[in-house]
Amino acid sequence: MGAFTYHKPATVGEAADLAAELHGARFVAGGTDVVVLLKQRKIDPANLISLRNVAELTYIDSADGLSLGSGVTHTRIANHDYIRARYSALADGARVVGSKQIRNVATLGGNICNAAPSADTACPLLALDAAVRILGREGEREVPIDDFFLGPNKVALADGELVLGIKLPATSEKSGSAYIKHSRRQAMELPMVGVAAWVSVSIGGSEERCRGALECEHTPDVIQLLQNEEVVLEDVRIAMGVVAPRPIRAREAEAKLKGQVVSGALFESMGDVAVSECQARDSFRCDAGYRLEMVRVLTKRAILKAIDRIMRPGREADIDLLW
Amino acid sequence: MAYKDTMSAEAISALGGAVEELLHIGKGAPRTAEIDKVTGKAVYIDEYQRPGMLHGKILYSKHAHARISSINTDKAKALPGVRAVLTGYDVPDVRVGFLGDQTLLKRDVVRQYRDEVAAVAAITPEIAEEACRLIEVEYEPLPAVFDPLEAMKPDAPLVHEVDARGRPLRSNILPLPWKLTAGDVEKAKAESAYVVKDEASTTWINQCCMGTSGCVAEFDSNNNLTFVSLTNVVFGAKGRIASYLDNIGLKRKRIRVLNPVVGGSFGTKLDTDIYEFICIQLALQTRKPVKLQFSRDEEFFALPPRQAARFTIEQGCDKDGHLTFRKCEAILDNGAYTSWGATTPSVMMLPMSSMYRVPNVLFQATCVYTNNIYSQAMRGYGNPQAAFALETSMDHLAEVAGFDPADFRMINRNQPGDVTPMECKITTCPLDRCITAVREKIDWDQKRGKGNGRGVGMASLIHVAGGARIYMSDGTGIRIKVTENGELDVISGSTDQGQGSPTVMAQIIAEATGFMPEDVNMIFGDSALGLWDAGTHASRHTFVAGNAAVRAGAQVKQQILELAVQYIPKLVKSALKKQKRKNPDFVEPELDYSLIDSPEKMDIKNRFIFPKAEPDHPYFRMEARDVVRRGLHVGTGESKHVVAEVFWDPPTQMLNAEMKGNYSCTYAFGAAGVEVEVDKETGEVKILNLVSAHDVGRAVNPILVKGQVYGAAYQGVGMGLSERVQVVEGKVVNGNFRDYKILTAKDTFPVEAVIVEDPDPAGPYGAKGIGEPGLVPTAPAIANAVYDAVGVRILDLPITPEKVLAALKAKGE
Ligand SMILES: Cc1cc2nc3c(=O)[nH]c(=O)nc-3n(C[C@H](O)[C@H](O)[C@H](O)COP(=O)(O)OP(=O)(O)OC[C@H]3O[C@@H](n4cnc5c(N)ncnc54)[C@H](O)[C@@H]3O)c2cc1C
Repeated sequence: MGAFTYHKPATVGEAADLAAELHGARFVAGGTDVVVLLKQRKIDPANLISLRNVAELTYIDSADGLSLGSGVTHTRIANHDYIRARYSALADGARVVGSKQIRNVATLGGNICNAAPSADTACPLLALDAAVRILGREGEREVPIDDFFLGPNKVALADGELVLGIKLPATSEKSGSAYIKHSRRQAMELPMVGVAAWVSVSIGGSEERCRGALECEHTPDVIQLLQNEEVVLEDVRIAMGVVAPRPIRAREAEAKLKGQVVSGALFESMGDVAVSECQARDSFRCDAGYRLEMVRVLTKRAILKAIDRIMRPGREADIDLLW
Repeated sequence: MAYKDTMSAEAISALGGAVEELLHIGKGAPRTAEIDKVTGKAVYIDEYQRPGMLHGKILYSKHAHARISSINTDKAKALPGVRAVLTGYDVPDVRVGFLGDQTLLKRDVVRQYRDEVAAVAAITPEIAEEACRLIEVEYEPLPAVFDPLEAMKPDAPLVHEVDARGRPLRSNILPLPWKLTAGDVEKAKAESAYVVKDEASTTWINQCCMGTSGCVAEFDSNNNLTFVSLTNVVFGAKGRIASYLDNIGLKRKRIRVLNPVVGGSFGTKLDTDIYEFICIQLALQTRKPVKLQFSRDEEFFALPPRQAARFTIEQGCDKDGHLTFRKCEAILDNGAYTSWGATTPSVMMLPMSSMYRVPNVLFQATCVYTNNIYSQAMRGYGNPQAAFALETSMDHLAEVAGFDPADFRMINRNQPGDVTPMECKITTCPLDRCITAVREKIDWDQKRGKGNGRGVGMASLIHVAGGARIYMSDGTGIRIKVTENGELDVISGSTDQGQGSPTVMAQIIAEATGFMPEDVNMIFGDSALGLWDAGTHASRHTFVAGNAAVRAGAQVKQQILELAVQYIPKLVKSALKKQKRKNPDFVEPELDYSLIDSPEKMDIKNRFIFPKAEPDHPYFRMEARDVVRRGLHVGTGESKHVVAEVFWDPPTQMLNAEMKGNYSCTYAFGAAGVEVEVDKETGEVKILNLVSAHDVGRAVNPILVKGQVYGAAYQGVGMGLSERVQVVEGKVVNGNFRDYKILTAKDTFPVEAVIVEDPDPAGPYGAKGIGEPGLVPTAPAIANAVYDAVGVRILDLPITPEKVLAALKAKGE
């Protein structure tokens, strides 16, 4: 790791001024990506601007939708009851980042600015339709998260621009979300594939019987019983990670599902479409073929889990439970 | 099969028949010696400092196979703080390693990515690292070979053009013809009712020690060397270093090898690695102490992992399920050079010939040079690899022959008195109890054969448990000195790798001497103080060092009791006299001194000497240290020091030219059972429950035994499901803890360690070695459970979700 000067601004204003002054400076929040990059000599900045003392960036505000400061840690998100209930996918993502030690210091802002194709909050934020609040030279602007991610470790930030936070639209009782990280172990892990889904539903039949359906052990049974109750996917957003250079929305798969009653056949054909939207790569971490196979399985499971969250609110979201 | 007891009468009498009265053996004594480790006080190699110490770093190859066309070190040498830059041109052209197939620094050709090309010593590790970056090396790539099967072909690129003596080589196949035969395999095959044939393979596994490798070398003004090393074979290391120094012209120099606190070993400390020789060379060059410590990256790409192996295995049985023959051929990717990985077939032979009763055996292994990384030992040596092939084949054969796999194992189980085709003499053998315990605790009969995504699997093991005569001496030395304060300073020639030896040895010595475990001060890992020892490997420490300790302890006790005969009467009489002086009315009691007139009439327990006939005798019951002190300060020329030294070499045989012989005093057996759940859509295997039952002879310390079993079981699950060093065209691509999938605390599942006791006459208080066995049967038990759950046999480790899903698809699910 090379030598650098470490700056500790206390306010957003000071941080922005420093960034404007020190060309090529790096922000550092939790440092869990930055320090690794420094040690690997992948970056070698002369200046680091720490955001750790900037209290303005640590807000969680649920007055209108949900607003989160970029400096909010994964631990806070994962433990936040309202986020767990209404923005479950984000809590799902935050609670599987790295390990407890990492989650205690690593931030949401750092996760999206580092923009790994595998970033665990990226798919949830895409599925929850987040907007990114950015402070630039000309003041504040908002960018939809889908336009924020440009490629591996590339985001729509100019030199010196700071992410203030993210905004998520309000959600209704009839919507729910989930994120599934498919990985080889339970901690300290990159997903082989990550899938987030947000759905809003209407139910032709009985909600009670839908809840009963979700008690079933086998996925095909669950789907059949939900179909019997005419569960319609009124609106859907699906996001997929590690199947393209950046986390992506599966827009065609979403279109396929929108307005349809859930059924085995629907999920089958949705899976095909979702797969066709991927540009998965072989790597030593995982073969493309397996990743695509998992896209089929996990899109279906994420949607079912999102439905479960609507039907059985308050129930502790158990990521490991797969029916 | 007949068996005659060859164990020494002495060892048997160590049991003394008084087993029920053991005071310290069998107790779960806590590991007080380890408190310093968990509180951060212990001095590992990381903290080890010497005045003026420099730091070494190594520059590695950038190619799997290439000719070095130039090396320029000018910039590195010019960097302030650099004290030495060495290349192959600066060090003597001396070969090192088990087959002498490499030099410290490679100067003409590199044959693998981890080839050491240059080394630097500097005043800080950072400067040394920077200097390595400044060294300019130009390479001309050469054709490389990465697949052992390709490498065996006649037209394959040669990894080595000449052997250690400069004779030309024509093939990549090593001159190590591992072969064991017994009976007539082909005839038995023809006569078998059922035969199965399978191919199984295991891959490289990193030992993942918590402490990374490192050493400190320091020469004095006379070129005598002090070498602080993590080795678990102090005298082996010393011997290798001595011959190296000899070869570079430093003849007959004194060498002292010392261990700091070691952060895990698992096989990595068995060979003397190249970095250690490089460190010595840097110290010689700079005349300063030099430390060379690996980063975690280096630990992954520059330290030899577990040997990878491919097996073709055939087994047959008769109509009643009795095994008729076993035939196995193994091919080992040797990598570019040879370390202990190439000798793992010597251990594969044990299960291949001796697991279950099998009269006809053929085992053959071929080691092949490639441009991959090379391998060394890891817990279990070759046994886990061989057991994977063998135990999955057992399940296959059981199925074909129509037997429940647990019944099939019971039918073929080893029994006391057996002499195996490798001529191993089975003494104690509660394998039946291990299998039965697993069967019960995993709920085998209820859970097996459901085929509903959940399943159970089982595997057994045999391992050396009474030393392993792989060198001409399998001996060890110990010295026990009793101080005037009643402490026992014990110097063991062996090493402590963190496995709990200070605790276990203290229990054994306390038991043997009559002192308390907390009186024992264990000193390990010093070649100058300790007597010779073959090393802390092969699960041998408790057994071999324990046997030496039992004997030395008995001598100590005898010496103290002899002093007691002499001095207790004197001490008692002078005490009485004193009392009389103080109180003239005191009436001296009539004492029967014949109660203590010979050592046989007394004993020592919990620090007190007492007459056996009257243990609570008001005058003769006396603290042992009072007698020791009295004996040491006699006032005439007759003072005596209580000290005993024993060098014990187990009564075993070296393997003969046919690779046969009883090379361990006794063998350990065990069985593991696993319950899994397989996600048919993703191919994921989840362990629901794991039971590991082990024949330990006697558990000297049940807590530590269980600790060994738990740790080994988790390592076995890693081997079974997730761990692999991924080597792509010779390069380790997942050399970090993010991509190397060792299990984390969140991946845990219930493990039940079942201790099966059947005290072994040859063991110290009946104990057998238990360091390695827990790992051995785990991976095959998982593979067998996956088959039971979803009907696919994954015979290529690790059992990744991809492989399971692909197999399910191939099967049409
Ligand atoms: C052991 C380990 C395990 C990990 N496991 C996971 C995992 O499971 N899943 C996962 O997604 N990630 C994982 N990570 C990566 C990392 O922890 C996350 O990406 C984390 O959220 C980064 O947050 P941070 O605050 O530490 O970011 P930092 O390292 O401080 O910064 C990351 C990047 O964001 C920039 N940045 C930070 N804040 C701002 C801001 N407000 N405005 C503009 N730019 C900013 C920095 O300049 C830098 O480029 C792991 C990392 C480690 C070391």
